[in-house]
Amino acid sequence: MTSYALFLGCTIPARQPNYELSARKTLTKLGIELVDLANMTCCAPPPVQSIDFETSLAIAAYNICLAEEADLNLLTLCSGCFESLAMTNAMLKADEELKAKINKILSQAGKEFQGSKEVKHFLQVLIDDVGLERLKQSVSKPLSSLKVAAFYGCHALRPSELLKLDDPERPRILENLIETLGAESVEYRNKLKCCGGLLRGSSDELALELAREKLANTSKADADCIATLCPFCFVALDIGQIQVRAKFNENYDIPVLHYSELLALALGIDPKELALQTHKIKIDRVLNKIFLQQS
Amino acid sequence: MEQVKEKKATNSAFSSLVTDRLGGETITLCYQCGTCASSCPVAKITPDFNPREVIKLSLLGAEEEVLSGDSIWLCCSCYNCQERCPQKIEIADVIYALRNIAFEKGYIPNIYYQFASAIINDGRIVKVSKFAENKRPTLGLPPLQPTGVEPLRKILSATGFSKMQKKKEESS
Amino acid sequence: MNEVKVGVFLADSGKQLSKILDFEAIIEYVKNVSNVVFVARGNEFWQGEGLRTIVDTVKDGKINRVVVAGTLPKLSEVKIAQAIENAGLNPYLMEFIDLKDHCAWPHRETPSEATEKAKAMLLGAIERSKLLEPLEKLEFPALKSTLVIGGGIAGMQTAVDLADLGFEVNLVEKAPFLGGLAARAGRFFPTDDCAICIQSPASDVKTITHTSRKCVYRSGFSEIPKLDILTNSKIVAVEGVSGNYKVTIEKKPRYVNEKCVRCDLCTTVCPIEVPDEYNAKLKTRNAIYMDIPNVHPPVYVIDDIVCKFHECARCVEVCPTKAIELDQKSEQITLTVGSIVVATGFEEFDSSVIKEYHYGDYPDVITNLELARMIDGFGPTGGVIIRPSDCKPAKKIVFIQCVGSRDRRYKPYCSSICCMISLKHATLIKSAYPDADISVCYIDVRTTGREHEYYYERAREMGIKFVKGRPTEISRDPETNRLIVDVEDALLHRFLELDADLVVLAPAMVPAEGTKELAEILGIELDEDGFFKEYNAKLRPTETKLRGMYLCGGATFPKDAPTTSLQAHSAAVKAAKFLTAGKIVKDQKTAVVNEEYCGDCEFCPVTCPYGAITLVPTTEDHFVAKISDLLCEGCGICVGTCPLNAIELRHSRPSQMRAQMEALMSINGTSKPLVLALCCSECGHAAVDSSGMAMMQYPANVRIMKVPCTGILQIHQFLEAFKAGAQGVMIVGCKSDGCHYEVGVQKAEKKVKLAKLLLKEYGIAPERLEMFNMVFIEGDKFAEAARMMTERLAKLGSLQLMEGSQEGEVN
Repeated sequence: MTSYALFLGCTIPARQPNYELSARKTLTKLGIELVDLANMTCCAPPPVQSIDFETSLAIAAYNICLAEEADLNLLTLCSGCFESLAMTNAMLKADEELKAKINKILSQAGKEFQGSKEVKHFLQVLIDDVGLERLKQSVSKPLSSLKVAAFYGCHALRPSELLKLDDPERPRILENLIETLGAESVEYRNKLKCCGGLLRGSSDELALELAREKLANTSKADADCIATLCPFCFVALDIGQIQVRAKFNENYDIPVLHYSELLALALGIDPKELALQTHKIKIDRVLNKIFLQQS
Repeated sequence: MEQVKEKKATNSAFSSLVTDRLGGETITLCYQCGTCASSCPVAKITPDFNPREVIKLSLLGAEEEVLSGDSIWLCCSCYNCQERCPQKIEIADVIYALRNIAFEKGYIPNIYYQFASAIINDGRIVKVSKFAENKRPTLGLPPLQPTGVEPLRKILSATGFSKMQKKKEESS
Repeated sequence: MNEVKVGVFLADSGKQLSKILDFEAIIEYVKNVSNVVFVARGNEFWQGEGLRTIVDTVKDGKINRVVVAGTLPKLSEVKIAQAIENAGLNPYLMEFIDLKDHCAWPHRETPSEATEKAKAMLLGAIERSKLLEPLEKLEFPALKSTLVIGGGIAGMQTAVDLADLGFEVNLVEKAPFLGGLAARAGRFFPTDDCAICIQSPASDVKTITHTSRKCVYRSGFSEIPKLDILTNSKIVAVEGVSGNYKVTIEKKPRYVNEKCVRCDLCTTVCPIEVPDEYNAKLKTRNAIYMDIPNVHPPVYVIDDIVCKFHECARCVEVCPTKAIELDQKSEQITLTVGSIVVATGFEEFDSSVIKEYHYGDYPDVITNLELARMIDGFGPTGGVIIRPSDCKPAKKIVFIQCVGSRDRRYKPYCSSICCMISLKHATLIKSAYPDADISVCYIDVRTTGREHEYYYERAREMGIKFVKGRPTEISRDPETNRLIVDVEDALLHRFLELDADLVVLAPAMVPAEGTKELAEILGIELDEDGFFKEYNAKLRPTETKLRGMYLCGGATFPKDAPTTSLQAHSAAVKAAKFLTAGKIVKDQKTAVVNEEYCGDCEFCPVTCPYGAITLVPTTEDHFVAKISDLLCEGCGICVGTCPLNAIELRHSRPSQMRAQMEALMSINGTSKPLVLALCCSECGHAAVDSSGMAMMQYPANVRIMKVPCTGILQIHQFLEAFKAGAQGVMIVGCKSDGCHYEVGVQKAEKKVKLAKLLLKEYGIAPERLEMFNMVFIEGDKFAEAARMMTERLAKLGSLQLMEGSQEGEVN
C-alpha cells in the first residue's frame, strides 16, 4: 500500500472541504494511504515569499522535514503548496550552500533538511502510483458526454525546470486523466494563461479581468465545466464568476469543479458525501449530465 | 570561444542590491527583448505593470521609483515570463527580490501586514476557523492536526521575519 | 675533436654600453673562464665586420662554441646562426644574451652592480654553451596534394586556389551535388546576386576575357586540371601525419553515370514520391532526382533509401542513354595528401524545440532558408511566396529574429548573419511585391559589414516595418487559420497581435551535421559551441593546432560570403605553404624520451597540446612514449609533466638549465638578495625585453633565465634554484588563458602552488617563490615585480640552507 503524508495547506481546510473530501475518498478508494502529520504549517506561498524569500524557503523546508522524519513522500492538493514545497525541495537539493544556510535557520526549530523525500502533486500520484489503466478500470460511472475544459493553473507547471510535472508548453497529464474518466477534454484559447487568482485581495479589478477572460474562452469552447487543480483558481472562477457577473454583466454559468471531484463522481462515490454545496456556481448541469445519462 | 564572466553592475548600486538578493541574481543579464512583457497576463490588461520596464528601471538605478511604486505588487506570479525568457532570467523571482527589498525599506501594501500577522499568530496565512474545524466530523473528515505554531515562530525569529513585522507596526 | 672551445663576442653598441658596464673588467673575467679561448669586442656582431670576425674565427677552427652578447635578439640569432652554419659549424652551438636590455639599460643607475650581473650572465651563457649539442635540421616528406572537405563556396574557392597553385586537389562533398548552403540560398548579400558565384580559376581554362567571377557551372570548375571532385562521399578515416596523410573515403553509389543527359524522363515514370527536404518540403521529389541544375555534377542521383531498385526499374527502361546503373556499389577510395582543409559549413538550428513558435506544427511558420527556396526562381514555388498550408499567396509576412540565437536555453551566441538574411529577404520580397505587408520583430538590428547598413535603410524606405520586441508566442486562429504573433513593441510600450499569412523565423546557425564525427576522425578540437576551433581567432583564423589541417568558412562560425571567401583564400595559402618545397623542414629542438625510464604512465600523450606523443608497445604489457619530431612544437610541457623525468627537451636539457642557473647565481655583487627569474620564451621573456627597452629600472640582483615555456619546469628545479643560491624565485609566464602553448602556464601555476606548500614544510617562507603572468607590453609590470620581490626578500632576511646536500630543514 503506497502511503503519502498529506499536505493540506490553509485554504482547503479553511474553505474547500469539497476538495479535501473528494481527494481523500478517491485516493483511499484507489489504494493510497494518506497520513496526517502533526505540526505542519502554511507552505509559505507567494505572500510570504514576497516578504522574505529566505523565510519562505525555511518554512517550506520545515514542512518537508516533517515528512522526511516520517519517511514519507509529500502529497499536495493545492498547486500553490505544490509549487512552494517542490520548488524548495529542488532548490535545496541542487545548491549545497543554500541548503546549509536554510539548515542553520531550521536548527533553531530542531530540524534538518536532508533532501531525501519527494514532493508530489495529486495528479502525479494518480499517474505514477495508480496509472491510467487501473484508473480506467476503477471508473464505474464514465463521464461520457461531459465536455471538460482542463485548467492547470500556473503553479502546477511552472517554473518547469524545478517542478518537472509536465511539458510547460504542451502538457497532457490533466487531459489524459480527464479522458480516462470517459469525459471529453475540450481545447480553448489561452489554456495555460493565469486566472488572476493571486491578485484577489490586492488588485481585485485586474483579478476579475483575468477571470473573465478565462470564463469567456472556456465558454466559447462549449465546455460543460472547468476542471481545476488549485483552490485559488477555484475561488477565482467560482466565487469570481459571480463577481464577474456583477461587474461586467456577463453570465457564463459554467460550473467549476476540482479534478478530484470529477474523479470522485466517476468512481461512483455518492455526491452527497462530497460537500458539493461548497460550490457557489451550481453544478447541477454537470450532475445531470453524469447521472441522467446513466439510466 | 572564451567564457563570458558575469559581472555585477558596478555603475548602479541598486542593481547590485538586487543581484545580492536571493532570487535577484540574474537581473543584469537582461537585454530588453520584451518576451516577458508579451508573456505577462497582467501587462496585457494594465499599463501599470510591465516586467521589462521594471527590470529596465531597476538596472538604471531608479530605486525609489521601483520600490515605492505599486507596480511590483501587481505581478500575479504565473511564472510565464521566467519560462520564456531567452536569457534564463528568473524574472518572477526578481520581482520577489524587489518586493523583499521594498518590504525592508518600508514600502508595502497593507494587506501584506495582515498576511505577516496571520503567519506569526496562527502559523497559517488563512486561518481555519473554529466553525470550519468543528464541521469536519459531520462532513466525514478526520480531525485537523495541530499547527506547528511554535516551531514556525522559532524559524521566523531566526530569519528576522518577526522583527521586520514589528518594525512595520511601529512605523505605521 | 672533443675539446670545447668557446668564443665570446661582446657588442658595445656604439660604445654606449661601456659607458655603464666596465667592459675591461668583464673581458678580463671572461678570459679566465675555463674553455674560453677567444674574446672579441666590437660594435655589433650580427652584420658587417662583427659578423665577419665570428665567421673567420669559426673557419679557422679556433672555436667550436659561439657566445654572443648583442642586441636585436631574433635578428642576431637568425643571421649569426646562418653565418656560422655556412662557415661549417652546427648553428645550434650558439648562445645569445642581451647585455643592453637585460643589464645596462635597466640597471644604469647601479653600474657596478650591472657589471657584476653582466659577468654572471656571460658565465651562464658560457656554461650552457659548453653543454650544447649539435642538432640537425629534420626533413619530412610533403606530398604536393591536398584534400578539401566540403563542396560549398568555401571549399570550392579553396580548391580553385590550390589547383591554381599547382597542387593536386581532391574535393570531397557528402551530398550528391556541390554548392552547399549557397546553392539553396539563391542570393547573397551585400550584392543580392547569385550565391553560387565563385572566383573563376586562373589556370588552364582558356578564355578570351577572364572576369573575376563565374557561377559554378559556367566557371569550368570541374575541368580544372588536377582537381578531382568526389560527391556523395564521406571521410571515413584519416591516418598519418602532416605532409603525408592517408585518407579513406566512402563513395556512395549514385546509380547514374555521366551518360545522363538530364532529360528528366526518369522522374516522370518513378512511382516513389517523398517530401523534398532540399526544397523545405514545399514539394515532393522522386527517388531519382536532381536538386537544382546549376551546380555539379550534372548527373541525376537515386535516393537508395526509398528506391525500389529492381522491383521497379522503370527509370532504367526509359533512360535514352542507358545511364542508370542500379547495381552500382559503394566504393572505398584511399588518397594520400599533404594537407587537409575543412570547409564543412553550417546549417539552421532546429526551431521545433521552441514550442511556443510552433515550427513543424503550423505549416505557415517557416525558416529563412525555406523562404529562400520560395524566393528562388528555380525553387518549388517558382519564385512565388505562398502559405504552405493552402498554397495561397502570402501577403502579410512577419519575420522573427534571434530564434535560438542569443538564447541561453539553446545557443547563447549571436549568429551574426541572420539580421542581414532577413533584411535581404524582406527587401527582395517587397521589391517583387510592393503591396506585401512585412514586419520584422527584432531585439537588435545588426548590420555591421560593408554596405550592410544600406540594406536596413532601404528596408525602411520601402515601408518594411520594424518592431522592437521578441514575440512570446505564435498562435493560430482556429477559424481563419491565420497566424497571430504576440509581441510587445518596447518602443511604443504597446502590445501587438500581428496578423500574418506567413511567419519567417531567423534561426540560429549551428555546425553542420557530422561535424562532431569529422572532428574526431581528423583529431581537431571543437569549441564549446561545437564549431571547429581555430588556432587563434585574431591572427590565425584558418589554422588549427595541427600543422597540415586548416579550416575555412562557416565551419568555424557562421559568416557571410565575403568573409567566407577571404578565409577560403587564406586556408589555401596556409595549406600550400609548407608543401611547395616538397618537404617539411623543422629544427630538432624537440623532446625525446629515455625509453629505459619511461613507465608508461600515460600522462604525457594526454598533456601534449599538439598530439605529438603516442604510446608504442614494446613488449606484451609494456608501452613507451614516442614523440613525433614532426608534430613536436618544442614547448617542453611533457618534460614538466613526466613523473620520472624520462623526457628531455633538446636544447633545453635539465643539465643545460642547471648549469646556466648555477652560473647566474654564482656572482652577486649587490647587497641585495639574489633572485632567479625563470621566464618563458614568449610573453614572459618579452616582458623583460620590453622593460629593458623602455629603460625601466629594477635591481640587478634579479637574474633572467629563458625557458621555452614555463610548463617545462619541474618543482625540483625551483628547489634547485634555492640550492644554487637564489633567495627568491620568480616564474614569469604568459597570462593564464593566453599561454602560447595552450596549457603550459596553467601547469606552472599549479606547480608553484604545490611548491609553496612544500617550501612551507621545509621551513622556507613560501613567499620566496612567486608566479607572475604578463604580456609583452607590460614591461612595467615586470620591473614592478622584480622590485617587489627584492623588497620582500630583504624583509624576509637571508635564507640559510644547511650545508651538504639537504635542501633546508626537513621535518
